[in-house]
Amino acid sequence: MIEVKLTDEEKRMLQGERGSVRQTCMAYLVEMAQIAGAERLVDLDGTGDMHAPGINMSPYYSISIEELRELVANGERFAVPTFADKSPFPEQPPIDGWEQCNICSFRQQDVRQDDPAFHDKAMHREEFDLLRKMGMLTSHSCANYLTATYWPTIGQHCSWFESSQIPYCNAVLGARTNFDGSFATCFLGKAPYYGMHVTENRYGTMLIKTDRLISSDLEWDVFGYAVGEAARCGVPVLTGTTKPTTTQLQKFNSAVHTGGAVEMYHIPGSTPEAPTLEFAFGGKKPAEEVLVGEKELRAAYDYLNYHATDEVDMVYLGCPHLNIVDLMKLSVKLEGKKVKIPLWIMTNPWLYNVAKDLGYQKIFSDAGAILMSGACLAAMGAVPEGVRCIAVDTAKQANYVTGCYPEADAKLDVCYGTTDECIDAALTGRWHGEWR
Amino acid sequence: MKTIRIYGRTEFPGKVTAEALVSPMPLQGFTNVDPERGCTTERNHPLFGISYAGKVLVFPSQRGSGGFLKYGRGDHKPAAFIHTVASPINVLCYLQAHVPAMTDFEKDPMDYIETGDIVFVNADEGYIEITKKE
Repeated sequence: MIEVKLTDEEKRMLQGERGSVRQTCMAYLVEMAQIAGAERLVDLDGTGDMHAPGINMSPYYSISIEELRELVANGERFAVPTFADKSPFPEQPPIDGWEQCNICSFRQQDVRQDDPAFHDKAMHREEFDLLRKMGMLTSHSCANYLTATYWPTIGQHCSWFESSQIPYCNAVLGARTNFDGSFATCFLGKAPYYGMHVTENRYGTMLIKTDRLISSDLEWDVFGYAVGEAARCGVPVLTGTTKPTTTQLQKFNSAVHTGGAVEMYHIPGSTPEAPTLEFAFGGKKPAEEVLVGEKELRAAYDYLNYHATDEVDMVYLGCPHLNIVDLMKLSVKLEGKKVKIPLWIMTNPWLYNVAKDLGYQKIFSDAGAILMSGACLAAMGAVPEGVRCIAVDTAKQANYVTGCYPEADAKLDVCYGTTDECIDAALTGRWHGEWR
Repeated sequence: MKTIRIYGRTEFPGKVTAEALVSPMPLQGFTNVDPERGCTTERNHPLFGISYAGKVLVFPSQRGSGGFLKYGRGDHKPAAFIHTVASPINVLCYLQAHVPAMTDFEKDPMDYIETGDIVFVNADEGYIEITKKE
C-alpha cells in the first residue's frame, strides 16, 4: 500500500484535533488515496457535487445527523461551491411532477412515488435544510453543468460525480476532476491527487477515426457509446465530427461514460486542451488508432435497441436532464398535438420553473405529456405498471433501464432512436425508428 | 500442483483464496448489478445472472455509472476484486467492500485466469497465485 503524505494541518484533522467530522472525512480521503495509489491530496479551487444527503459515505465512514446539526450550529460551510447532483437519495423522487409519477420505487410494490407521505419522507427535508445552511446548492441534476451560472475555470481542481459530468468537467470545461465528489471532498475542499488532476494523464491515448461524419444528435449519442466501448478507461481523441452543440455534448458525455469509463477526451479545434491534434497527444504519436465507423456505429445502435415488438407503451425523454433549448424545441413539436401513450419529459428543477414561465409546461400538459424534474426512470428503478416497451432517445437510459427488469417473464423492451422518432411513437403508439 | 504467480498493485489489503469468476467484458453497475442477488443484471452480458458471491471477481475494467460501487455492498459481495485497469469508480467500490483488491499487474491476469481456477489473492504482499482447475 502506498503511503499518503499529509501536510501538518491534514495530520491534525486525521488525529481529530479539528473535530470528529473532519476526522471522519480525512480518514475517508486517506483510504481513498491509498486505494487509488495517490501520494497526496490536492486542495480544490473549483467546485464540487455529490449524491446528497450523502452523509453515509460508506459502511465505515459516516456522519450522523447530530454531527451535521452541530456543524451548522458552529457556522461550518462547504469549502468549495457544492451542488446536489441528483434528487435526494436513496429514493430519488422527482422534485416536480411527482404527483403524476405513478410508479413504485425500485419495484417495491408498497412504496409509490406519487404518494404524498412517501414523497415527503423521500425529500429528507431536515438533512437538506442543514446542507443548504452549509452552502449546498440543491440543483438536483445529473447535468448540473447546465443549471449553473458558475463554472470552474480551466485548470481548477474539482470533485464531481455523475457519469456525464466527469467528461464534461475535464474535456469541455478544461477543469480537473476524478469521479469522487462526496461530502468529504466538498467539506474539506480536498481530493486525492491522481488521475485527471495530473497533467500527463490528460493527454490523448487513442486516436479515434470514423468513416461517417458525426453530426446529428443521434450520431453523437451512438458515437459516444461506441467510443466508450473502444476506449474503455483511456483518453480518446476524436476526429471526423462536426463541432458539437450543447445537446450533443450532453449526449456524447453521458454515452461515452456508459459504453466505457471515459473521463477525458479531446476534439482537436473544439475542446480547450486540444488546439491541435499534436497538442491533444502531448506531442507524442498516438499509441493506438481505432476506427469507429459505420459498422461499429450500427452495432452500437443495434445493441441499444432491445425490442421484439414495435408497440410502444411509454416514451421517456430527458436523459441527461433536458436543457432549455431542447425544451423549447419539444414545445414547438408538441404544440396542438395529443399523445396516445404516456410521454414523460424530465428536466432539472431550476429549469422547470423557467419552462413554466415560458409556457412550455402548459403546451406539454395540453398535449397530454408530463413535465417533471430532478429524477429519471432508471434512478427510480422502475417504470409505470403495465409498461413493457419504452422508447428513449439516449444510449444511457437505453442501456440502464432494462437492468431494473432482469427476470425473463418481466423483461422490458427498449426502442432507441432520435427525439423525433420518440415523439412519433408518443403520438402513434408505434415505433417507426430506423438507422439511416 | 503448478501455480502461476503475478505481482500487482494492492488497492485494498488482505488475503483470501477462492474460486475465480472471470468476466471477459467490462463490468457495469447502477441498475445493471443486483447486490441483493449478487449478480450482474446487464442484458446480454456474459455474466448475466451468475452469482459472484464469495468469488474472486476477475474483469478487465469497470465501465459506466458510479453505481458500480454496488458490487461492493451486501452479503453477496465478491471475496476479492482483480482487474487489469483501474478507474476512480473502482476506488469507490473498494471503499464500500473492504475486501482484497488488486490491479496494475506485471502481466494481464485476464490472460491467465479462467472461471473455476482457484486464486490466492495476497494483497498484503502484492501478488496473486493461480491454480488452474483440473
